Amino acid sequence: MSRSSIAALRALIEQRFPDATPLTGGSQTTEQVATGIGALDKILPNGGLPRARLAVWAPQGGATAILRAACHSVVAGGERAAWIDGDNTLAGEFWSQDPGGLYLIRPKSRIHAMRAADELLRSGGFSLLVLAGTEPQGTETVRLTRAAREGGTALVSVGTAASMASLRLTSRLLRWRWRRTPFGDPADAVDVNVRVDARAIGVNAHAVFPIPVSHHELRLSLESELADRRGLPR
Amino acid sequence: MSYVCLWSPSWPTGADFPADLAASLLGVAPHVAIGERSLVWGDARGLHGGHLADAMLRVASDYGFDDARAGVALTPIAAEVAAVHSAIEADVPFIMVKPGSDASFIAPRKLAVLSPPEHIAALLQGLGIETCGALGSLDAESIEVRLGVEGVRLWQRARAEDDRWLFRSLPRPLPNASLEWVEYGLKDPERLLFVINSLAGTVCTSLVQRGERAREMALVFALGNRTQRTHLIRSSRPSAEQKRWMRLVREALDTITLPDAVMGVTLRVESVTGNEGAQGDLFDRGFASAPAVEDAIVQLTDDQGDVVVAPNNSRHPLLEMRTTWRRRESADVPTAGAKQRDLDLKLTLQLLPTPKTVTVDTQPRRDHVVPTRYLDNNEWHDIVETAGPDRVSGGHWAGSYSREYFRCVREDGMMVWLFRNPQQQATDWFLHGWWD
Repeated sequence: MSRSSIAALRALIEQRFPDATPLTGGSQTTEQVATGIGALDKILPNGGLPRARLAVWAPQGGATAILRAACHSVVAGGERAAWIDGDNTLAGEFWSQDPGGLYLIRPKSRIHAMRAADELLRSGGFSLLVLAGTEPQGTETVRLTRAAREGGTALVSVGTAASMASLRLTSRLLRWRWRRTPFGDPADAVDVNVRVDARAIGVNAHAVFPIPVSHHELRLSLESELADRRGLPR
Repeated sequence: MSYVCLWSPSWPTGADFPADLAASLLGVAPHVAIGERSLVWGDARGLHGGHLADAMLRVASDYGFDDARAGVALTPIAAEVAAVHSAIEADVPFIMVKPGSDASFIAPRKLAVLSPPEHIAALLQGLGIETCGALGSLDAESIEVRLGVEGVRLWQRARAEDDRWLFRSLPRPLPNASLEWVEYGLKDPERLLFVINSLAGTVCTSLVQRGERAREMALVFALGNRTQRTHLIRSSRPSAEQKRWMRLVREALDTITLPDAVMGVTLRVESVTGNEGAQGDLFDRGFASAPAVEDAIVQLTDDQGDVVVAPNNSRHPLLEMRTTWRRRESADVPTAGAKQRDLDLKLTLQLLPTPKTVTVDTQPRRDHVVPTRYLDNNEWHDIVETAGPDRVSGGHWAGSYSREYFRCVREDGMMVWLFRNPQQQATDWFLHGWWD
């Protein structure tokens, strides 16, 4: 579109909608919460997850890992983050025993998860709140979005209902890198490339970056018939 | 100077001791205590002992006790000896014992000034020990062996080692408020709530004035059948906020069933804590919002129980058995930014609370079989890469387990964690989690 066309379009809009206020910046003026992942922050509007707004991230595809890294980044920046584990799938093995400013909430039901989210958002003490494992629906979304606006919190819902979201994110695991056995079979996953797509008003971008894979210490016994009592109380 | 001892020869009889003298003395001394043998003690800590003794003597004189004498010393025993013996003998209104010379002041005195028990006094007299100095110069072991505990106490006083606690601070009664009525009985919880709200306002105002926060309150109902029902209400975080306590009361009233109409309600604080606040950096962005976060966490805990948690991990061979979740204390609401962490970006395992049964197709690979696809929610997922089996077994003395785990990458890129029990039917496969 040429410069003269843009000027003509602007003049037409001003003529048709004389009371309209120009959206100077839009998402550009929204404060953001940086995820701490450079490649991802580059594609996000204004360099991070929008504060006081709802962002929806489609589940799986590395969403948990990226959002947890974002939470840690927030805490390292002197602010607080909260993670509501709606379906209680977070393994304690991979969660810090001394999480500092990162709060984990394991509600008993979906309703409890929504109430917890509402309470924490309204407190205004959290920069980032991740609602995972359960999804707000209908008026719940409206309520949580308002609470996020009141509290100035970046609310990220891990789900698919994105009708009220100001930012929509999807991610997909692309290619796994393995350490292999002498037979050439996969032994340990080293890392995986993830592709993140971000969509917002005026933004449609993607980034690809690797994520290391964490393994728990699996205490193997050579024979499945053998008893393994290591680590158990005597 | 620490202690002023006031004494009049007429007081030990008790007949002439005026009951309101102590109250009048409180006008000049911060603390006043009546001790044994009607000795009156004034607290001179932080004050000029001489001035205080003079003021106390003037008060005693106003009550007609012109023969009252005072002793001022760093230790109670030296002040007592100075008042009861030295001042009388020297015929002066009061005697001040030079700081640091309490022991030498007592030393030349007869043992009788220490008011020893009769049997010990007789024993010491038999041994030829007559003065405080003579007793104090003996070693503690010999006194303890020969005279026992009472002898040691006497020996300590003879050395002006007197750690009596004369001015005890009385615990203040905890705030409470009550309301009773006799002409009718209340059964309606809403009306009870109205009354309790008023009582909570009084109690919480009192708490704020005292600079304290209540940890627990008791709600006492006086019933029409002349019995009482007490319900304890506990907040997960000490608080002096009426709003918070009323919320807890409201929740309690929802569950309370009373056998009769209520004729009175008392709300009393059972335990309190001080108003200690979190310390932190005023310029820390997280510090400013700490109270709001604390309030939100407390509210969550009160509403939903222990949902704000942190893991306690063990080294159990089974991953789902490794973690016990402990309640995260709201007291350790931290100031954010205390720690700088490296970017913690890792794909980690997500565990299903209960392993889910799935149908799996397998194919042989050397000496074992590996999954090639599985059916979950009526949808087949093809597996493109498989690592495993990782064999875990144990618990043969309490719930044995034996599992073969496989890490399988699906066609859509997701890695799932499947296992089967090789001891049971080979067709029983479970989906235990996924990496995300």
